[in-house]
Amino acid sequence: MARLEIMIEQLIANGIVYGCIIALAAIGLSLAYRILNFANFAHGEFLTLGAYFALFFAANLDLDFLPACLLAIAATAAFGVVLDLLAWKPMRSSGASRTAIMILSIGLSIAIRNGLIIFFQPDALRFPLPVSQGLDINGILVTSFQIAVVLIAFAAMLLVHSLLSRTALGKSMRALADNPNLARISGIDVDRVIRYTWAVSMGLAALAGIMFGSITHLNPNMGWSIILPMFAAAILGGIGNAYGAMAGGMIIGITQELSTAILPAEYKIAVSFLIMIAVLLFRPRGLMGGS
Amino acid sequence: MAGEILLVREVNKGFGGILALDRCSIAVDQGEIVGLIGPNGAGKSTLFDIISGFVQPDAGSIAFRGEEIVGLPAHRIARMGLVRTFQIPRALMRMTVLENMMLGAQGQTGERAIASLIRRHRVEDEESRIRKKAEEILKFFDLLPMKDHYGGSLSGGQKKMLEMARALMADPRLLLLDEPFAGVNPALADRLIQQIKILKEKGLTIMIIEHAIPYVIALCDELYVLNKGRVLAHGRPEEVIADRRVFEAYLGEADDAQS
Amino acid sequence: MLDYLVSIVLTAGIYAIFALGLNLQWGYAGLLNFGHVSFMALGAYTTVLLGMHGVPLPLAVLAGMLLAGASGAFLGMATLRLREDYLAIVTIGFSEIIRFLLLNWSSLTKGSFGLFGYPRPGENLVGAMDYNLFLACLVIGVLALVYALLELLARSPWGRVLKSIRDDEAVSMALGKNSFYYKVQCLALGSAIAALSGSLLAFYLQYINPNNFLPLETFYAWIMVILGGSGNNRGTILGAFLLWGFFSGTRFLEGYLSFSPSATSAARMVIIGLILIGLMMFRPQGLLGDKEELAIGR
Repeated sequence: MARLEIMIEQLIANGIVYGCIIALAAIGLSLAYRILNFANFAHGEFLTLGAYFALFFAANLDLDFLPACLLAIAATAAFGVVLDLLAWKPMRSSGASRTAIMILSIGLSIAIRNGLIIFFQPDALRFPLPVSQGLDINGILVTSFQIAVVLIAFAAMLLVHSLLSRTALGKSMRALADNPNLARISGIDVDRVIRYTWAVSMGLAALAGIMFGSITHLNPNMGWSIILPMFAAAILGGIGNAYGAMAGGMIIGITQELSTAILPAEYKIAVSFLIMIAVLLFRPRGLMGGS
Repeated sequence: MAGEILLVREVNKGFGGILALDRCSIAVDQGEIVGLIGPNGAGKSTLFDIISGFVQPDAGSIAFRGEEIVGLPAHRIARMGLVRTFQIPRALMRMTVLENMMLGAQGQTGERAIASLIRRHRVEDEESRIRKKAEEILKFFDLLPMKDHYGGSLSGGQKKMLEMARALMADPRLLLLDEPFAGVNPALADRLIQQIKILKEKGLTIMIIEHAIPYVIALCDELYVLNKGRVLAHGRPEEVIADRRVFEAYLGEADDAQS
Repeated sequence: MLDYLVSIVLTAGIYAIFALGLNLQWGYAGLLNFGHVSFMALGAYTTVLLGMHGVPLPLAVLAGMLLAGASGAFLGMATLRLREDYLAIVTIGFSEIIRFLLLNWSSLTKGSFGLFGYPRPGENLVGAMDYNLFLACLVIGVLALVYALLELLARSPWGRVLKSIRDDEAVSMALGKNSFYYKVQCLALGSAIAALSGSLLAFYLQYINPNNFLPLETFYAWIMVILGGSGNNRGTILGAFLLWGFFSGTRFLEGYLSFSPSATSAARMVIIGLILIGLMMFRPQGLLGDKEELAIGR
C-alpha cells in the first residue's frame, strides 16, 4: 500500500512540474484567444522559439544561461509585437474573418517549425546546463531543475496576478478579455493593450519553453507536441481567464501524469483530448469562463 | 374566429442584470392583426426572438396552436407555422431572389441529401411547383423582375419586400413582422398596407412590431404596448392610443434621449 | 515518361478526392475541419486491416468510410453548438490522437513499422507492369464520381439549404431548416470522402505507416481548397494538381541545391507555410474564387 501511495505522490509531483509548464503557456494562449478573438495555433511555436533563442544566445553571445534566458524571453516578446504589426493588425484592420487569421496562424506555425529545422538540426539539443541534481524527498524523486521550474512558474503566476489586478494595463487587459465590446467603448486604447497582451503572452510562452527544454530537451516540434494540452488547459479554465488557465494547466498536468498509473505512458495525450471534449460537451465555458 | 393561436404567459427575460421582459403576457386570436408598439428598448424585438425560438426565456410559457413551444429550437417552431421576419432585412446576399424564395418552401423532398439524388423526378416536380408559387408571390410584391438578381444587389425597400415574401413561402399560420414599414417610402408603404390586408383576408394571423403609429392604426385589430419589458396597455388601437400612460411612456423615451 | 505521368495522376488525383471532401465541409458548409487527415488515415488503415483479414475490398473500403463518417459526425455533434473555432481545435486534437494511436497501438497497426503485403483491387486481373495505370484509371473514375456527386448535391435543394446556412444561418433557421443537422451531414460525408481517398492511397503506396498521415497533410488540402476558391469543386481539383506540380517541381531542385534531405523537405514546408500566410493576407479568394461568393475574406 505504501508503495502505491508513493507512486501516486510521485506521479502528482511529476504532474505539478509538467502542469506548471502547461499553465504558463496556457495563460498567454487563453488571454490572446479572448482579446484577439481567435485560436492561435502558432502558440506552441512561441515556446519553441523561446527555448531556441535561449540556446542561441547562450552559445553565440557568450552569455551565461540565466541572462541568455532573460534575453530570449525579451526577444520572443518583441517578436510577438512585431508579428502583431506585420500580420495580425493588418488582418484585423482589413476585416479579415476569424477563420483567415486562424489559417494564417497555422501557416506561421508550419513556417516557424520548419525554419527551425533548417537552421538548427531536427535532432534533439540540450541546454548548456550542468547535470541536474536528483533529490529524494520523502520517497519522491525530483530533480533540482524540476524544483526550479515549479518555483519560477509560481513566481511568474504571481507576477501575472499582480499585473492583472494591480496595474492599469492589467485591468484594461481583463476588461478587454471580459467584455471586448464594452471595453472598446469605454475608451481603452485597444491596439496598445493588444500589443502588451502579445508581449506578455509570448514572454510567458518563452519561459515555458525554456523550462520545458531544461527538464527534457529541445527539438523543433517541442511546442507543437503539447499544443493539445495547452488548448485543453485554456478551454478547461475558461477562455480569457488567466487564473482559469493556471488552474487548468495544473489539472491537465496532474491528470495526465496520474493516468500513467492505468494507461501506457504514450497515451497521456489522449487524456487532454478527453478532458477537452468533456468540457465542450458539458460545460463549454470552462471552470472560470464568462458567457 | 377560431380562438387563440398564440398565448404568451408571464415571460421573463434578463440580460446581464437588465430585465428585458417582465412578466409579459400576450394573447393573439386567429385571423387577427395584432400590433406591438412601445418606446425603443421596450423589449419588442426580444419578445419576437423568444416567441420564434431564437432566444430562450428565463421563465414563462408560450403556447402556439395549443402546443407549448418554449424550449423548442427555432427551426422546429418555424416548421410548425410560426414564421418571423427580421428587423433589418436579411436577404441571402449570395443567392438569387428566386433562390431566396424557393428556400422558404416547407417539406421539400430535395432537401434531404439521399432523396435529392435518388428521387430526381419527384424533386424536379416539386421544384417547378415551388418555382411557380415563388413567382406568384414575387409578383404580389412587385419583385418578379428581380428574380434572377442576387439578394445583395437589391435596394433596402426591395429587401424588405423579399423578407416578407420569403416568409410567406413557408406557409405560415402566424407571421411575425418586425418593423415592416421602417425605412419604406410612403408609396411603397401604402402598397404594403394593401398587401397585408389581403393576407389577413386569406386567413393569415399577423403580429407586427411597428413604430409608426398611423400604420398601426390602419392595420391592427388589437394593440399591445410594451414599456420597459412590461405590457403597459392593450386593447383596440383607438383606446390604447388615447391612453395617457402610453403617451407618457413615449415621452419618457424622449426624456431619456435628451438626458 | 508514362510512369511519371501516371504517378502524378495518381497522387494528385487521390489528394484531389481528399480535398473535395474538405471543400464540402468548408466551401459549402463553412465548417473548420483542421483534422481532415485523420479521416484519410482511418480509411487507409481500416481498409488495409480488413483486407488483410479476408474482407472483400469493396466492403473494406466502405467500412473505412463509415468509420470516418461516424467519427466526423461525432466530433461535429460535440462542438457544432459552440463557437466555430472549437471544431477546429477539436479536429486538430483528434488528428493528433489518431496519429498517436497509429504509432502506439502496435498490436493492431504495427506502429511505425507499418503495414504492407495487403490485397489491392484487381491484382488478379492486371499484371504488375500495368497495375499503376489501372489504378490511375480507377482513381480518375472515383474522382469523377465524387465530383459528380458533389456537384449534383450542390445544385439540389439540399445544396440550396447549405448555401443559405453559410450565408446567414439565422435566416435558414427562421425558414425551418435544421442547420445543425446539415452541418453534421457535411462533416460525415466529407470525412467519408477523405477515408475513400485514404483507401486509394493505401492501394497506391502498397505500404502505409503513420508518417503518411501527418497533421500537415490536412493543410495541403486547405491550400488546394483555398487556391481553387472555396466552394468551387473544379477549383479544388485544379488546386490539387497545382500543389502537386509544386512538390514534383521542387523535387528536381533537390539535386541542384546542396541541402540535406531533411533540410529540403523542411524548406518545402516553410514555403507551404508562407503560401498559407500569403493567401490569407493577400488573396483569400484563391485563383478561381469569386470574392463575393467567398466564405473566407469577409
